[in-house]
Amino acid sequence: MTIEVMVGNKAAATAAKLSRVQVAVAFPVTPQTTIVEYLNEFITKGEMDCEFINVEGELSAQVVVQAASRVGARTFCCTSGPGCLYMHHPMHDTSSLRLPVVMAVVHRGNKGMQPDHTDLMSHIMTGWIQWYVENNQEVLDSIIMAYRVAEDMRVRIPIAVGYDGYILSYTAEPVDVPEQEEVDDFLPPYKPMPSLMPEDFDPKSPMWWRVPWEEHHKIIVNAKEVIKEVNEEFGKRFGRSYGNGLVEEYRCEDAEAVIVAMGTIASTARDAIDNLRAEGKPVGLVKLKCLVPFPYEDFQRIGSEVRAIGMIDRNVCLGVGGVGHTFIRNAIYDLEERPKVLGFHAGLAGKEVKVSDIERMAEKVLKAARGESVSPLVEWV
Amino acid sequence: MIEIRFHGRGGQGAVTASRLIAEAVAKEGKYAQAIPMYGTERRGAPVTAYVRIDDRPVRRRDLVHEPDIVIVIDPILSKKPSVAAGIKSGGLLLLNYPKPPEEVEIGGDFMVSTVDATTIALETLGRPITNTAVLGAFSRVTGIAKLESLEEAILKRFPGEIGKRNVEALRRAYEEVHPPKPAKGPLRPGEEEPPHVTGYGVLKSVADWRVFRPVVDLEKCVSCRLCWIYCPETAISLVDEKPVIDYDKCKGCGICVHECPVKAIEFVREAV
Repeated sequence: MTIEVMVGNKAAATAAKLSRVQVAVAFPVTPQTTIVEYLNEFITKGEMDCEFINVEGELSAQVVVQAASRVGARTFCCTSGPGCLYMHHPMHDTSSLRLPVVMAVVHRGNKGMQPDHTDLMSHIMTGWIQWYVENNQEVLDSIIMAYRVAEDMRVRIPIAVGYDGYILSYTAEPVDVPEQEEVDDFLPPYKPMPSLMPEDFDPKSPMWWRVPWEEHHKIIVNAKEVIKEVNEEFGKRFGRSYGNGLVEEYRCEDAEAVIVAMGTIASTARDAIDNLRAEGKPVGLVKLKCLVPFPYEDFQRIGSEVRAIGMIDRNVCLGVGGVGHTFIRNAIYDLEERPKVLGFHAGLAGKEVKVSDIERMAEKVLKAARGESVSPLVEWV
Repeated sequence: MIEIRFHGRGGQGAVTASRLIAEAVAKEGKYAQAIPMYGTERRGAPVTAYVRIDDRPVRRRDLVHEPDIVIVIDPILSKKPSVAAGIKSGGLLLLNYPKPPEEVEIGGDFMVSTVDATTIALETLGRPITNTAVLGAFSRVTGIAKLESLEEAILKRFPGEIGKRNVEALRRAYEEVHPPKPAKGPLRPGEEEPPHVTGYGVLKSVADWRVFRPVVDLEKCVSCRLCWIYCPETAISLVDEKPVIDYDKCKGCGICVHECPVKAIEFVREAV
């Protein structure tokens, strides 16, 4: 165990190194660029036995990791904002081909340089597992865990690990870096699928190499159990785990209301919840880490335990609403007694989210839990 | 939790200083967070960085609005009262300033300490990179990071001769810093924003970044539009096919001067 003060991007590159990534492909884009620099530094110094392939853009980056993964290499990719959008089409294929690529997405919103989650959330339908993490330690740990989950024969689905650009990518904080041997014990070498061609291979069908939609969907839904298992095992080995791997409940005991947050907002929200609890206010925090597959069961249970939920979305699905808000309302709809579900759009385009902002949001949700009328039900902070 | 805000100019090492503090206190078993403010800064532009130090992991991810300590590593910014904005009652303002605290013009409900870091940096490093010198003063006045921890952090980051010279700057400032005195100057921070590039890349005016100003000679201009195409800040607009420069947006990079094929743009030294 070594504590090193490092920025989020170094944590991501270090995780790729510890995971013994064999092929890394990326096109540099702010605020992901320094991951590419750290990877090349590790390779040049001989600390990492990896082929870094320079490409002319993200579309190629995704296609090249696909090819490398197909022929049996453990692959790593990283991107941000517009670069992330540029690789949309091949991302569908990576998932359809069931290639366990792991990619760090350093969030940069779709309206400028500033961070929000609209980049990765634009890929909800690509069939990638999506995690949103809150600090540099979780960046490192999650990338290592992602390889275990993605390469599990029950899953074989690519995973994107998203973290807020600038707020984590360039912020330095202590990270507990595990020893190589510990990671090697946790993460066995990658074995590609024995054959890419299915038994009923029909060369006349243009779709022969793609998993059918229904099966593809079920594989991703079932990945929830594998994510939980891997998170638990990681906790046993390294002394750190992240809730149940899908969501983490913080001070939710006897809570009348909870707020739900993702990424760094969840980190800041812990201080807000501590402050409110110190005032005797029964509110808790649910950190939503795994957006795809969506943890419906967890929200059904949480929804039956509290009287109001407030989702803080660092995103907007234009013309529809907050992604988390929409999914949570969907999850709780079938409950006999439904809690109120309030929505907040906060931190879009890098807008600062202060502890006091979250306290105010949580107090509003608590009011709703206690039957007071609150308006509007969805607000822009 | 101790919260620190740094002010400096691009190239003086405010961001590096914030990381060095985080690395030094981590060696002493504390938790820290070093946050740089990145926009489209370049050498010479005012920059800000923040540090939080605590006995447990730091979780909040907002910026520091009410710092316990403000450290200014640039001597010109050290004259601006706005650097002290938001500083906590009883807090500390540590300035790179050639005069003792009694002669500092900024006043308020906090202490002020000074060190002539520019002179120390010029004599030890040969260039006005003031961050490590100011850290020596910080260590002495606050005791938050030990001198040895900072030395170790500096030598790890800058191996060899550069590291040695920076340690020399650190030690000299440790000896030469003026101890804190109540801030009694006539100028108050007021309500204005501290001098930094606001938000993540959202710019107000960048006029005070310039050392030189581009001036167009419209008689010589042949309306080729090259300056308009190359300006990285879109500070140039075309009016009747001739360039008009928005001097709030112009950083003084000189690209237009370089690109003009008929030498119609002159680079004129800004009056200080």
